[in-house]
Amino acid sequence: MANTDLYEYPQELREEFEATEAIQFRDGSQATAADVWHYMTEVAPKKYPYAYTQRKYVDGRMSRDIHLPSAIKHNYLLLTMNDRINKSRENGSPVIFVQGGQSVDPYYAAGGIALRPASVGMWSRGRHEGLGLNEEVVRRHKQKEKAYHAISFEACQTAGYETIQEGGLPVDMVAPFTCLRCSDISYGVEAHRHGPNKTLKLMNIDYPMRHQADKQWAVEYFVQNLRRLTSQIGKIAGREVTDDDLSKEIRLHNEGRRLAIDIAELWWSADVPPTNGLDRRHILQMGGMEIHGDPSASLTILRESKAYISERVKNGIKAEGVVDKPVRLFICGSCVRPNDFRIEEAGAIIVGNDNHWSDICTLVKEDGDPYRNLAHAILSYPYEQSVELRAAWTIEQLKKSGADGVLFLYQWGCNTQSAVARMLCDAIKRDTGIPTMIIEQHEGGSEQSEQLLNRINAFIEMI
Amino acid sequence: MPIKTLEVIRKRLEERPAELRKLRESGQKVVGWTGYNVPEEIIYALGFIPIRIAIGGDDRLVEVGGRYASSKNCVFIREIVGVFSENEDPYIQQTDILAFDATCLQNFRAAEVIEYYFKKDVIVLGVPRNFYWEEGKEYFGKEADEFARLLEERAGVALDLAKLGESVALYNDIRKTLKSIYTFQAAKDNVISWVEVFDLIQAGDLLDKKEYLSLLHETLAELRALQHNPIIEVDGSEGRIFISGSLIPRGDRKLISIITSVGGRIVGDDIWTGILPHLDLEIKEISPAGVALGYLNRTPHAALPYLDLESDRRLKKLHELLGEFKAQGVIYHTLRYCDPFTFKAKETKDVLAKSDIPVLEIHTEYAGSDYEALRTRLEAFVEMIKIKAESAAEVIV
Ligand code: SF4
Ligand code: SF4
Repeated sequence: MANTDLYEYPQELREEFEATEAIQFRDGSQATAADVWHYMTEVAPKKYPYAYTQRKYVDGRMSRDIHLPSAIKHNYLLLTMNDRINKSRENGSPVIFVQGGQSVDPYYAAGGIALRPASVGMWSRGRHEGLGLNEEVVRRHKQKEKAYHAISFEACQTAGYETIQEGGLPVDMVAPFTCLRCSDISYGVEAHRHGPNKTLKLMNIDYPMRHQADKQWAVEYFVQNLRRLTSQIGKIAGREVTDDDLSKEIRLHNEGRRLAIDIAELWWSADVPPTNGLDRRHILQMGGMEIHGDPSASLTILRESKAYISERVKNGIKAEGVVDKPVRLFICGSCVRPNDFRIEEAGAIIVGNDNHWSDICTLVKEDGDPYRNLAHAILSYPYEQSVELRAAWTIEQLKKSGADGVLFLYQWGCNTQSAVARMLCDAIKRDTGIPTMIIEQHEGGSEQSEQLLNRINAFIEMI
Repeated sequence: MPIKTLEVIRKRLEERPAELRKLRESGQKVVGWTGYNVPEEIIYALGFIPIRIAIGGDDRLVEVGGRYASSKNCVFIREIVGVFSENEDPYIQQTDILAFDATCLQNFRAAEVIEYYFKKDVIVLGVPRNFYWEEGKEYFGKEADEFARLLEERAGVALDLAKLGESVALYNDIRKTLKSIYTFQAAKDNVISWVEVFDLIQAGDLLDKKEYLSLLHETLAELRALQHNPIIEVDGSEGRIFISGSLIPRGDRKLISIITSVGGRIVGDDIWTGILPHLDLEIKEISPAGVALGYLNRTPHAALPYLDLESDRRLKKLHELLGEFKAQGVIYHTLRYCDPFTFKAKETKDVLAKSDIPVLEIHTEYAGSDYEALRTRLEAFVEMIKIKAESAAEVIV
């Protein structure tokens, strides 16, 4: 008997969906749309019931825009994370824990798979089958508690300690870019040195700060960091990494970045939002080519999404669940975001965010020394510049996206973004007059607190 | 018997802000610095007056600073920002240029906040996280060159290497003398306390360096006259305490006063406003990069991650100092939201537990609300290590 508490994709959609593109994987294999449909309607509801929750406001609830193929394919890739990553590892690709908001070209160039905290979380989640939503939330929190215990209760970034050290997740290396936007990540990496997993390789890819892209010695230092990184991954993968490998990877990732930029411009140019905020975010984030642990797969969805969104914009199609003239919000800050369903219910929509978008927007030069080009691009991420430069870039995004207001969110315990929040908001208000609001979010639930949402709703009403 | 030179130093500190004002009127410039790897010799060699911005202990200023930075920054950084916001500290008022380093990212952010809101002229020195790599050292050397260049621009003169050499010699002498004085506080029948030496170290953050050195020499001469041969050994049941962890800046006396009030005797520290930054600083080459590398090669600050526990020099140094000063227990002090030290608290405790060294972790801030709770915990801890020391002594007998 069907579990009525769980969402079901409407069968009448099947034919339309099965006519869409196959997902092409990096190893040359593919999943046809029919495979995806079968998995999402037959297999996954039993394996991962929590993903099919009908609870409206749960963070991570799947999009209900069923006519947008990416909405289903993206979730397919997330729910198959455990199977796919295990298979890739068995085929010799080491898995490296990285940080969000950084490009992953060098990791893939060296034959690795780069997973940021959210993706590592998905992989870990995929190992626990049959859990309902509440069970899954409890499991996750228990896991996180272990990391707090081993590191500090003031830690928000534990570099996957809970899953890699306490949960036995077979990650091969922890090697994020450090300093980059987050103070805690390098301490999280360091914490692994006292964990039970002694074979885990650790490396900090040191991100110099303060006018870094203009300093030739800072670029040189970062080049050396990148070279050490690719060489270390190459060693684990048992291969030598050439400059040509990196050049090829940069070209591939640039295609993803360009597609995301094109899609964003299309989306922003529309009179009515062509997708809901959740799908917009998911699609644009694919431009970073890291969320699924397979850049080729992300690329196939991006290409298809561009065609779909162009069509919707051309025909003036508005996404379901979005009001006619929503208040357009832009989100600043790392690691947390407001609940899209609630925002849309309150008559608004999220039209952009600075975190992640900052690296996706930064194209890498394709001719010349690939390490130098990549280092220069990475050190130029707008999110990582001084507050005035970051504000100037953010204002440009606000204008392009037609934002009416800015929400700066940071997580409890976040020292770096919290310290930038007021400066950035003040600079934005000073130069544009656009209203801003700063919110500190406490982790602790899949649904955001009423208090937090009331504040956001009041802000939306004020606008 | 009181050490007379300490009285002189106290008086000179009272006079110092007015003196700085006069020096500035005559055209000299004051560089206020904060951080953990700022090569002060370069500032001094360029003719600036360096003063260290290390102020704490005022909960009200923490609150003020938090409005510009955030309530999630460490209390030390929040207070620094608060101090600039109010501009009432007599030393801060005299600063013309600020020099911050990026050892701790919170310090880096504080530089941005102070620059943005209080329009201060701030120079920032980048610090590599991979400080033990050759590439990291090379990067830091170049950052030091840039740091010197930015200071030269402000000084209007080029850095004279002969002057830098003199500056290094002066600072080396200060460090050497401090180390000698420090031994006296830990000795049996000590004639100077750790608290007095701690104050003496911090006086050097503010006084004229040449005068400071001569005052240190006088202090050392007095100490030698009072105690010819200071021997560090355990004396009965003193409760010999070692303080580790986050810095304790000028103005923050809560922890220290509680420890002494409950009968603990502090005999050593590895905090960055105590003796640690003055240890093992070897400058091999007279150049900005050479001086900076001397700083980077010391015992690393906890904000610089080191990825192998077994060869961690911070923990090795901690063990070495515990042995040298015959400490019987460690108080691991962490300031609220001081991640560099807080994240390592459990690990440090586990490591020390293997060596059978009792550790008490104190996580605190500048508010007085936890005073009684801390007193109770510290009293019990001091009592416990005294009993442990007594029973160890009985076994030996
Ligand atoms: S919330 Fe802040 S400190 Fe925590 S992981 Fe994110 S950026 Fe880092
Ligand atoms: S080391 Fe701790 S006390 Fe010092 S600036 Fe950093 S967070 Fe603050």
